Amino acid sequence: MSNELGSGLVEFENLVKDGAKGLLDHIETGDFSGAIKIIQELSEARHNSFYNEVGLLTRSLHDAIRDFQIDSVDLVSNGTAHDATKITDASDRLNYVIETTSAAANKTMDMVDKSVPVASQLQSQARELRKDWGRLIQRDLTPQEFRDLYKRIDVFLAEADENATTLHSNLNTILLEQGYQDLTGQVITRVNDLIRDVEVKLVHLVAVAGRVDSISGIEHEENELAHDDTRGHGPAINKQNNPEVLNSQDEVDDLLSSLGF
Amino acid sequence: MKILIVDDFSTMRRIIKNLLRDLGFTNTVEADDGTTALPILQAGTIDFLVTDWNMPGMTGIELLRAVRADEKLKTIPVLMVTAEAKRDQIIAAAQAGVNGYVVKPFTAVALKEKIEKIFERIDAAK
Repeated sequence: MSNELGSGLVEFENLVKDGAKGLLDHIETGDFSGAIKIIQELSEARHNSFYNEVGLLTRSLHDAIRDFQIDSVDLVSNGTAHDATKITDASDRLNYVIETTSAAANKTMDMVDKSVPVASQLQSQARELRKDWGRLIQRDLTPQEFRDLYKRIDVFLAEADENATTLHSNLNTILLEQGYQDLTGQVITRVNDLIRDVEVKLVHLVAVAGRVDSISGIEHEENELAHDDTRGHGPAINKQNNPEVLNSQDEVDDLLSSLGF
Repeated sequence: MKILIVDDFSTMRRIIKNLLRDLGFTNTVEADDGTTALPILQAGTIDFLVTDWNMPGMTGIELLRAVRADEKLKTIPVLMVTAEAKRDQIIAAAQAGVNGYVVKPFTAVALKEKIEKIFERIDAAK
């Protein structure tokens, strides 16, 4: 494909070389209308080759986007996703990731919220009973207190059974909720593939644009984008390879204490 | 003690809210970025601010600067809880007058430690 894309430009370069020779010949022989004709031809050829290149690139970029398919369309939408552009589709898919992870996190926290009081209840009942059990071992209980303890232990055992069952079920729900990792992982992998694909085409577009620039003599001002920390960067990936990013709370604490915190 | 939790993700707000509740701070309010947080702060009942950095609208560092620039709000302790971990950003937060900086993902122990440290300092300054 890259040969196909570049060939128009090579042709154009040859045309410029030949044209230049012809131009010189015409000027030397004093044939200025012939010279101007060549200049016009070159100008036209320049436009044509530029538009051809852009056309080819647009098509290949469009192909890359059109090629983007995710099998599990029914995961997110009602099947109309095929009609939307694939970039919109990819964006929908990423929204699905946000929604799914958020739902899983909330469900997990719901289960934790439900489990904490159950565990606390078990704990406090066991502590109460243990106190009186200790007195029983010390033979420090009245017969009435003993009969009372006897009943309470029976109630406690029934409740402990019930509470443990509740905790067990809550933990299982939390476990199952982690299935989001599989679903979102699949979606992210697909979107990642699209990005890689588009990137390859874009790099190619930049390369061809560079060639067009060199032919047409256009120069661009190099202005590097200022790094704006204010907007934030999100979580650092690959921290180990970036000396500007701190790896742990300890490093943050060290830095802050070096600043007098 | 009324604490304002500012984060654009509701799950993170919920995590922080639950951890704060475990630490005994039950009176919390939430906002999803600096723009919605400022009016709550200006209403004047907030004693402590916990904020993320990276948020749409007004970011956490902008909120911190706005708080420090406001005559009525400037003494409110601010704890930043964020995934932003660049050296320059932490220095910028320190210069803007942050009271504590916790990087995500964080532990309950780290959050507790920073909050306690902030209160120790405030008590010592009294």
